Amino acid sequence: MDELVIGAVAYTANVVPIWEGIRDYFRDSPVPIDFVLFSNYERQVDALVDGQVDLAWNTNVAYVRTVRRTDGSCRALAMRDTDLTFQTLFVARAGSGIAGLPDLRGRRVALGSRDSAQARILPAYYLQEAGLEARDVTVLPFDSDVGKHGDTGRSELDALRAVLDDEADVAAMGVTTWAGLQAGDLAPGALEVVWTSPEYCHCNFTALDTLDPAISEPWVEHLLAMDWDNPAHRPILEMEGLRRWVRPELAGYESLFAAMDQPTGGAADETETEASTPR
Amino acid sequence: MTVRLLLDLADAVGRVADGRTVKVPVETDDGAALAARWCEKTGHTFLTWRGDHVELRRGRTAEPTDEIPAAEWPARRLWLYANFDCNLACSYCCVSSSPRTPRRELGLELVRQIVAQAPAVGARELYVTGGEPFLLPDIADVLRACADVLPTTVLTNAMLFRRLRLAALESLPRDGVTLQISLDSATADLHDRQRGAGSHARALAGIATALDLGFRVRIAATLDGGQGAEERDLHELCDRLGIPLTDRLIRRIAMEGSATTGLVITRESLVPEICLTADGVYWHPVGATDPTMLVTTQLLPLSQAVDAVVLEYQGYRRRHDEVALSFPCA
Repeated sequence: MDELVIGAVAYTANVVPIWEGIRDYFRDSPVPIDFVLFSNYERQVDALVDGQVDLAWNTNVAYVRTVRRTDGSCRALAMRDTDLTFQTLFVARAGSGIAGLPDLRGRRVALGSRDSAQARILPAYYLQEAGLEARDVTVLPFDSDVGKHGDTGRSELDALRAVLDDEADVAAMGVTTWAGLQAGDLAPGALEVVWTSPEYCHCNFTALDTLDPAISEPWVEHLLAMDWDNPAHRPILEMEGLRRWVRPELAGYESLFAAMDQPTGGAADETETEASTPR
Repeated sequence: MTVRLLLDLADAVGRVADGRTVKVPVETDDGAALAARWCEKTGHTFLTWRGDHVELRRGRTAEPTDEIPAAEWPARRLWLYANFDCNLACSYCCVSSSPRTPRRELGLELVRQIVAQAPAVGARELYVTGGEPFLLPDIADVLRACADVLPTTVLTNAMLFRRLRLAALESLPRDGVTLQISLDSATADLHDRQRGAGSHARALAGIATALDLGFRVRIAATLDGGQGAEERDLHELCDRLGIPLTDRLIRRIAMEGSATTGLVITRESLVPEICLTADGVYWHPVGATDPTMLVTTQLLPLSQAVDAVVLEYQGYRRRHDEVALSFPCA
């Protein structure tokens, strides 16, 4: 094998400099890489399963689908430190009187794209876990970036707009999108986080079990050696949103496996756990 | 409204790549201030508020000094107009110098102050020009003051190297001073037509004198662009004189000063080369009497003028980048 070919989804134009930077970083390593960009995660999972790429930079949803498609004959190799502690928040207008998920009974809940773990699949699961059935809440779905598994954050912004427009009482959003708004500091007293999910895992590098560990392990070692304090590495880490690469912690995917094993339904009856993607 | 603006800002920058500029509708001072604070907190760059919208750049803009390549640093080649009077009245002179032009000299003391500050603003070379600098009785002192600090080139028509002026030339350090001598053609015809009858023969004599004295001589021709044969002949002459290719400069006529035809130049179309005259700091020596090229009338501190040019040039570079990115045809 000359180069390890890695698949990634082009959810933003920034993906190109990120992957060119990572490719450059691996240029003189024991396992140089190249990358292939896909327009959506379903095509990427297809390519990984079909052996067209050796590794895929997957969302948590894409990882779960890869596990299912391969009957578990795949493995997560590494993830960002920030992928270990992802969370979903439910955000309402300040003074909403909502103190937790049970208070959403009879309320309007704005959710993001149907293939987004943080904005749709897990929020629907959390509602169900809280004992809310489909008839108990009104779901407003915003399928703003289907295929990108919520990476753009756009559907979460749309859901929050619905709250501001008084079309919804609460919006579900990932912790990174919420942090990006800086609403707590810049608009204090306007919004409130009414519920915060347990931490779960987000993206990872996924490989099929057919990838020889003699190749994958030196590759992972070199990835983990990327150093925040090294000026040459820093821009890549900043763009990709991490301080260091870490080994995966698979327990962080259990909630998503459970959510995606549910038949469609529950509180978020609009939710499809297997998104149909434009082909 | 506050949260809506935050949503609009996050949405807008989320749709573009790092380094791209976005516009977000904002109609109040408070909104613009909020946008600026949001940028500060989220790692983006607030550029401006234009009354009805703000302009932001995704990501942090690097310091302007980092973004300008060293070869384009506005002060790398610092120009000093020692004076504006001249023994010639060239038809294309970009600053309208002639025997009737008032001297307007910088003066030795001011040159010393400028040169002392030059290295700190990134100057790597000094260019002393005019007018004809060798009309100044203290030109040797001026050039020595420059050469003591940075490699210095003096632009001259080389027609005045006799008696006291020859002595002045002889007194200059050979390793710190280069002579850039104007010679528009290999034969007298074109040169004399542009620069005055008899000037070609005297320029050739001056070149020979400078070379004999051991100076590095650079030949600079000003042509209108349609004179390939003249250029070829001039190169042959330079070959015979032993002037290396790297010390030959052929430039086009600019529509400035006395020129009635030539390239139209603007600040936006010229890589700046900061130029100091008795009247102020100019964007480029080719426009050193053009009011549109005036950066400031305050010569010192030099850093202030350099900062102003850098900021303005950075703006042009960004706009050019944006225009380049705005017209993808495939």
